[in-house]
Amino acid sequence: MKKILIIILLAAVNFPAASASIKEDTESLIREKLGDSITTEFIKYEIPKDIKKQIETESRQKFYGDFVYIYKVFQNNKFQNLVIVDNVYGKSMPITFLVIYDTSGVIYSSGIIKYREQYGGGVKSGEWNKQFNGKDHKSVYEVGKDISAISGATISVNSITRGIKKLTLLVNKIKDSL
Amino acid sequence: MGSKFVFSFLIILSLFINIYAQDDFEFKPGATIGGYGELHYNYVKPENTEATKSLDFHRFVLFYGYNWTEKWSLKAEVELEHNFVQGGQGELELEQAYINYHHADWFGFQIGVVLPSVGLINEYHEPPLFLSVERPDYHNKIIPTTWFGNGASVYGFYNGFSYKATIMEGLNADKFSASGAIRSGRQKGFKSNAEDFLYNVRVDYLDIPGLKVGGSFTYNNANGETVDNAITLIEGHAQYNSDNIISTFELGNISYDKGNVEQSFGYYFDLGYNIGGLLNSDMQIIPFFRWTQYNTAASSPLGLSFEEQYEVKKWMIGLSLKPISSVVFKVDYAVQTSGANDAETNLFNFGAGYMF
Repeated sequence: MKKILIIILLAAVNFPAASASIKEDTESLIREKLGDSITTEFIKYEIPKDIKKQIETESRQKFYGDFVYIYKVFQNNKFQNLVIVDNVYGKSMPITFLVIYDTSGVIYSSGIIKYREQYGGGVKSGEWNKQFNGKDHKSVYEVGKDISAISGATISVNSITRGIKKLTLLVNKIKDSL
Repeated sequence: MGSKFVFSFLIILSLFINIYAQDDFEFKPGATIGGYGELHYNYVKPENTEATKSLDFHRFVLFYGYNWTEKWSLKAEVELEHNFVQGGQGELELEQAYINYHHADWFGFQIGVVLPSVGLINEYHEPPLFLSVERPDYHNKIIPTTWFGNGASVYGFYNGFSYKATIMEGLNADKFSASGAIRSGRQKGFKSNAEDFLYNVRVDYLDIPGLKVGGSFTYNNANGETVDNAITLIEGHAQYNSDNIISTFELGNISYDKGNVEQSFGYYFDLGYNIGGLLNSDMQIIPFFRWTQYNTAASSPLGLSFEEQYEVKKWMIGLSLKPISSVVFKVDYAVQTSGANDAETNLFNFGAGYMF
């Protein structure tokens, strides 16, 4: 009994509720966008240093960490989509978001998994995120021109836009090796 | 033996779970800094009077935030106005300092020095976010930007709608005036009189890309040592920033319960277009036009001749140039007519600003 209690305690300490919630929210959002019949394969992907540096220069934004989190999505056992989950900084808190690509690296959909501040919550809007659909690594991602600004969300809009561009550049470089 | 194996297996499993949690999404406590600042050159030439010229580092602001957890954080902003503080000149202000609890998208609260949500600029006033060198006159005469004070707010975002409701220190009714409306009545968090709280609520709709449209309602039974005067401020605002178009419209009305002024009223609109793309430039180059009209004594029991003294109309043309989204250089020219005689004032401004 004591051992069971210790195990429960360890599990509780080691698996913070917030983390579990984000993982669940991520997978729930993927299913919302791609349907319940999909299967997924999770990959913790370490970004090669040379690619990381090159993309950071081009996108004018640093990666949140050395890793991004990738889901390979299968429909009827056929590889259909690639999903990347990452964070960017808003005014003072990280914003967790995902981008869904088709197998050629074109954006199928994007969404905010977790937003943690009062200001700038407009980036959660599905309509705003739809503007990225169909873009790829060659597209222009200019706020105010190609991507609508959101009044009161300047920092978040710029961060998410650069973040999505950054992941799209990454997908283009790594999609064939996954 | 068997139970030891199961125990060890579960321990190892829990450690794997831990690795997954830590590497993937675990929140890391930490501090962030930000801020903004702006330098202004102002040339003002009233009719039949010598021009005045001034060069002013109008605002230097530092933002500091500390995130204890992803739900609990501190946000604080200290502002130095006019570069120096001495003998009533210049100001050093704690414009924001609050504990923020962000429960979920639909609900959070703040307590400390907070900003009521009134109009487009009171909460978002960094120089790259508005077109003119100085903040729009409407945000001085009708909405007393930056309006801050001791209090608490709740906020949230749900289904395309954003809301914020604030209860905070009230205004000092003794300091209301026909020329400045409620502006001088702000207590700015300085040992605030808490006799009657100010109530403010705002709702915006954000689900059309580029568009923000909403309004707010503010009520305070303002106290004073010599007089109490209840005010109601109702305003509406809309902003559309997309496809290179930058447009803004704000309109507001203050009603007073008593005194020489029954009503203050004003509005303005901006129309700008980013021609950077047309010029094959990566910079945002935004020529713009603004029309402003306000009267801080739009309705008075003293009659039309009193009201006319405070009528102001102003047109402005300008250029806002952003080499990057966080740095801006601005120039504008305006002609203002004011008072019963339509006295004309010419204004020329140049400014440089930044945010980070």
